[in-house]
Amino acid sequence: MIEITREDNKAILRPAGDGIVAASIPELRTRMRGIVEDGVRELVVDLTDVQMVDSSGIGLLISAYNSLRKVGGRLAVIHASAEILELFQTMRMHQHFSVS
Amino acid sequence: MNQLASADCEMRRALPATLQAAEEFFMDFRRRSQVLLGCVNSFAAELLVREALTNAVVHGCRADPNKQIRCSLRLKRRRLLIAVEDDGDGFDWRAAWSHAAELTDCSGRGIEILRKYANRVRYNGRGNAVAIVKRFS
Repeated sequence: MIEITREDNKAILRPAGDGIVAASIPELRTRMRGIVEDGVRELVVDLTDVQMVDSSGIGLLISAYNSLRKVGGRLAVIHASAEILELFQTMRMHQHFSVS
Repeated sequence: MNQLASADCEMRRALPATLQAAEEFFMDFRRRSQVLLGCVNSFAAELLVREALTNAVVHGCRADPNKQIRCSLRLKRRRLLIAVEDDGDGFDWRAAWSHAAELTDCSGRGIEILRKYANRVRYNGRGNAVAIVKRFS
């Protein structure tokens, strides 16, 4: 399940599963594409419930970043665990979008 | 085939090459590794297992459920050995090993994660089997 809170051109997406991983990518990708096509320009991904992000999940976030960038939007990731923060730093994700 | 042996944690499974089957395996591994390694080290351990197994499912076997993946994990004295072999044709790991994804690439980071998180990664010549070692402090 994915919880989405929408206000004007901003949306907060909170995956309720415990991972942004290969098995969960198809549903998340569909929802993210829909959000951007629906006019959202500021997308916040809330990782409160997320315990794991793998290389497929990183790819999905980069894809969302690329899509938003094309339309002048931006992506932010919030409430990442210490382990996921370290992974993002190791993989240089913080050079794309804010991660906290 | 499921076996639990006498190491701190030992898992051997033969799985159909599907992400669903792999996900069930990851959840089982997480339950065990969190007890044995704690959350911080368990994250790195699970990440390595995920990258190795997902690579076998997606790239090795093209997610063909008729193909099989054999996975063996052994955690002993804070040393994790991951061995994964699949029925696929293998891949050119030498080219992938030296490849670094561009910042805006949407794929191609699995091997980079193995490089950065593991202490040792070895493929067979064909590229359909990998052995990974991770030592925890």
